[in-house]
Amino acid sequence: MQDPFILFWSALILGSIAWYGFLVFYVGIKAGRDIRTMIKSPKAQNPDEKL
Amino acid sequence: MTLTPIDWIIIVVYLAGCLFAGLAMRRYVRGVEDFAVAGREMDVNLGIASLAATEMGLVTIMYTAQLGFEKGLAGASIGVLMALAFWVVGRTGFIIAPLRTAGVMTIPELFEKRFHRRVRWLAGLFVVLGGLLNMGIFLRLGGEFLVWCTGMPPSWLEWVMTILLGLVLLYTALGGMLSVLVTDYLQFLVMGVGIVVTSVLVLINVGGFDMITSLSDAWAGNTGMKLTAHPFNPFDGSSLGWGYLLWMLMLQFAAATTWQTVISRVLAARDAGTAKRMYRRTAFYFVGRFLLPGLWGAAAFVYFAKQGGLPEGITSLTAMPYYLGLILPVGLIGIVIAAMLAAEMSTDSGYLLTWATVIYNDLITPCLKTPLAPKGRLLLTRMLVLGIGIFLLFYGLWYELPGNAWDYLAVTGNIYLASVFTLLVAGLYWPRATARGAYAALIMGAIGPITFLLIGKQYAIPPEVAGAAAFGLAALGMIFGSLSSPRPATQF
Repeated sequence: MQDPFILFWSALILGSIAWYGFLVFYVGIKAGRDIRTMIKSPKAQNPDEKL
Repeated sequence: MTLTPIDWIIIVVYLAGCLFAGLAMRRYVRGVEDFAVAGREMDVNLGIASLAATEMGLVTIMYTAQLGFEKGLAGASIGVLMALAFWVVGRTGFIIAPLRTAGVMTIPELFEKRFHRRVRWLAGLFVVLGGLLNMGIFLRLGGEFLVWCTGMPPSWLEWVMTILLGLVLLYTALGGMLSVLVTDYLQFLVMGVGIVVTSVLVLINVGGFDMITSLSDAWAGNTGMKLTAHPFNPFDGSSLGWGYLLWMLMLQFAAATTWQTVISRVLAARDAGTAKRMYRRTAFYFVGRFLLPGLWGAAAFVYFAKQGGLPEGITSLTAMPYYLGLILPVGLIGIVIAAMLAAEMSTDSGYLLTWATVIYNDLITPCLKTPLAPKGRLLLTRMLVLGIGIFLLFYGLWYELPGNAWDYLAVTGNIYLASVFTLLVAGLYWPRATARGAYAALIMGAIGPITFLLIGKQYAIPPEVAGAAAFGLAALGMIFGSLSSPRPATQF
């Protein structure tokens, strides 16, 4: 395990798994709110302009 | 078939949920701006979810796993370069900030403002050509995953992928970017869970970091299969090498600033600051985009090396899904398949919408003497989404890859990445750039990649030569073309 490349890739594997796990929860909650805001925006609510 | 009724229920519930959410967004679409860029109302976290879901397709998982199988963990160096490119662009706002501020719907639209209407049309043609050829193998590779992971008969491949594409077409053609954003969000969640669970299971299966020792043994030739590339050092001559990595660095900067499916998220963002934050926060995601499926591919190599070699009919491309089908427990495989379908669907929908928007906005609109009515514009864009779907079905079935999947994707993307990147940099930051330079850059930038696609197999042209030559030729075309024509009268 003294090869710097091996240490580099090992750290990145663990970091990537942790980052993906974190993003699913963090972005999952925040992006859900973004969708609600986007749908409730005045532009999306104006039925007169609908095609 | 390795799927049990529980797996099927998970898959069907997931597909029904996506279809329902996608179709529900249809009622918010009022015009082409809503359809193509979601009314520019997207905020940063939804942008991260959408960008991450679109850029992580089943095709991505297949080619990154193939890189992992052939080149070990070093194959994921491309992901590190991609993350670096996204972070630098997100930090500096290079290209994306002025592009978002310009308020255009596509990149070629900017070229009309900066150069000439015909430059917009020609750039649109190259963008569509490169993009559609690139997307052409998505269905085939996605189908290969399903065949080898689930053990379904290969003769089902075309039908399964046709049904899947049909679902994607339905909600994309009706709801446009609004549907794509909402379904991308669902797909981001399912895909994220699937990738984390699979990565942990794969690590457990290969004995954790004992895999490092196994890869070293395979590199030394002490196992049933010899690994021909250094599994950890990407600079080693047997691995990717300096020349290839340099091309990848150029390609990733060009992709971060030019790839239309990525840029469509920039253009849908609320403002330039939102787009920059989205880039910075998504950057590290791209390391995992190459590294985690690469880990699965490398683990597949270790597994089959211990078995004495690959089973008959299995290749470096299909080894990973076959391996996952062997190690994933009953029940969990349904979640993983749903996650992989999520990856496929989010990518397909994003790409379908993007290329349809470019065809409508940059190839058809400039040729119309009288602009279409809003309803006609929307109908035309929806028809284009359907047309691209039909093209994908047929192209994906007969094209034979000239090399590995990643090289094909990189080279086809390069058809427009090199030239459009050159046009964007020169158009935004070099006042002396002219329309003649733009024409020259577009044409010269496409020569290398198209040559590779047509005769690359017969003459063994290295992809890095074809790709890097495209950047050099496009830059030369822009410089000499611009300097040989009068200085532009007005500044952009």
